[in-house]
Amino acid sequence: MPECVGRTVKTLLLGVGNPILSDDGAGIHAARMLKELAIPGIDVDELPASGLELLDVVLGYDRVIIVDAIKTEGGRPGDLYELREADFARTIHGYSPHGINIPTALAMGRSIVPERMPKEVLFFAIEADDIVNVSEELTPKVAEALPGIVKRIEQVLRQSL
Amino acid sequence: MAGPIVNDTPVKTTERKITIDPITRLEGHGKIEIFLNDAGNVENAYLQIPELRGFERFCIGRHVMELPVLTNRLCGVCPAAHHIASTKALDAVFGAEPTETAKKLRELFYMGQYTHSHIAHFYALAAPDFVLGPSAPANKRNVLGVVDAVGVPIGAEVIKHRSYGQKVQEIIGGRATHPVFGLPGGVSKQISEEERAQMEEMAKSCVEFGKFTIKLFHDVVLANKDYLGLVLNTDAYYLETYYMGMVDKNNKSQFYDGDIRVVDQKGKELVKFKPSEYLDVIAEHVEPWTYMKMPYLKKVGWKGFVAGPSSGMFRVGPLGRINACTGYTTPLAQKEYEVLAKTMKDLGVTGPVHHTLAYHWARVIELQHAGERMLELASDRKITSSDIRGPYKEPKEGVGICEAPRGTLIHHYAADKNGLCTKINMIVASTNNYAASNTSVVQAAKAMIKNGMVSQGLLNKVEMAFRCYDPCHSCGTHALNGGPALEVTIRRKDGTVVEKLRNF
Repeated sequence: MPECVGRTVKTLLLGVGNPILSDDGAGIHAARMLKELAIPGIDVDELPASGLELLDVVLGYDRVIIVDAIKTEGGRPGDLYELREADFARTIHGYSPHGINIPTALAMGRSIVPERMPKEVLFFAIEADDIVNVSEELTPKVAEALPGIVKRIEQVLRQSL
Repeated sequence: MAGPIVNDTPVKTTERKITIDPITRLEGHGKIEIFLNDAGNVENAYLQIPELRGFERFCIGRHVMELPVLTNRLCGVCPAAHHIASTKALDAVFGAEPTETAKKLRELFYMGQYTHSHIAHFYALAAPDFVLGPSAPANKRNVLGVVDAVGVPIGAEVIKHRSYGQKVQEIIGGRATHPVFGLPGGVSKQISEEERAQMEEMAKSCVEFGKFTIKLFHDVVLANKDYLGLVLNTDAYYLETYYMGMVDKNNKSQFYDGDIRVVDQKGKELVKFKPSEYLDVIAEHVEPWTYMKMPYLKKVGWKGFVAGPSSGMFRVGPLGRINACTGYTTPLAQKEYEVLAKTMKDLGVTGPVHHTLAYHWARVIELQHAGERMLELASDRKITSSDIRGPYKEPKEGVGICEAPRGTLIHHYAADKNGLCTKINMIVASTNNYAASNTSVVQAAKAMIKNGMVSQGLLNKVEMAFRCYDPCHSCGTHALNGGPALEVTIRRKDGTVVEKLRNF
């Protein structure tokens, strides 16, 4: 992980999702495009999993920006939502049959290792269309929206410098 | 801390259909539908699991060498198991015998996976039911509630040892979550003495953590007579099925390699088979209400969702393995295996343990075994040898099997002479358990919901019946709002919603 001399804020841009599951991989696709931009002082990583694995990746950073797919009722594929941890308050306490979700993992980290947790976590959630069919490609509407989404995230990343 | 909340107060429902459904309604997640009769008793219940689509089509025509990396993308929970089964299938496809060092490295890597996976299941998913209680308010009955109850230092140990499991996988596999090291006949990377020593230290700590976890299980679960009552409740959590698991030549439990042993309801061996023979043993049944197939024992036949010797239903995973084997090769796991056997014997149970909630006990024994085996392998200085790759031949067809944390995992591939995939068949652990886990849901629902009286606690006790299988269906979906909570919808006969109960 590159260290930036003279900087105090360490920022991670993390793409989350499954890159072979159509739009579920939208966050990964976005992260790869952002990595190409080589923004100074920003680490870019991918996480093809969720839950507690997230803690292994985010610990030690001051600021983490997570890009992931989301599926909302009536959402339009390709729409972008900017969220914070507090926005997940309604779902944070549940648990799935086999894993815990990202906000719960973050809350667990804040409870157990608060000193190593990022002070700020932002979420960019990309409305997905298909998250069921196995494919390395995004669906057309999401693919079309991706450059604009990447531009918006780049803007936020550069503001943080 | 306050004591766990085991029971709550049910309320009368006049509805006929109860659905336990993920809040987000993502297709990748299952739901439970419970149908009541006029008297308000359970007529039937269904665990519905939609499947990801198009994986076979995605793989055909690709080089088989890609499959260990592609198949592990199916799952964000047990990718290492897919990687190992896939790599073993490639051994068979290429007629390649891995070197001794490669076998050791793969198994050591795999003990990291077991450590990580079993810790996550026991502490994050099972413990809320036991530490907080099955009827505790849903907004407390989760891993954060467990940390609140047991204290931050124990939570930190959980995180630390789960990370050790990940670290071992990262050192050997190249990446913690989606490894890239498996090759036909071996592995891609030698390890250094420094890495070996680092893993040895972590393994020592994992052995101690295994001891701690077993003690915690005794203190929290077995010492609580209400929980022991639940574990021993034969109306709700008891199926006399066949059991399947991997064993060595002495019938001791194995996770990485061995023959597959199936025992009957009395513990007698029905069949022991090599991976290449799996199609002689397992057939798959199809039901109209689900896309998922239900494997059963060919020799016995499919008799529906019933247990007993005439039904080919079988169980895999920790309970399947502990019943299919005669013990463990490592001392601490063996000791606890004997404690389990004696405890059950004192309660009048001999032979296999048919009590579904005993999955959790078997799982903590396996966590202990994984730590001990990790230490044995990491202490072996020969594991740093450069002899990590054996010869291989022209590709053909082959089967690889390993024990995923959730049960027997089968990968079967065929390739043309250029190595391009012409056939792929996979039977994953949770599929092997599908018929049994569905039957467990029906059984628990019938036992818990009487005369139309339902409550969150009772519905959670129905969920407990399938949660102990640690089901991992269609687990490739990780959308941000995926799979966090469960919701129960009570409907009129025409399907319209009149009331919702949420567990968050």
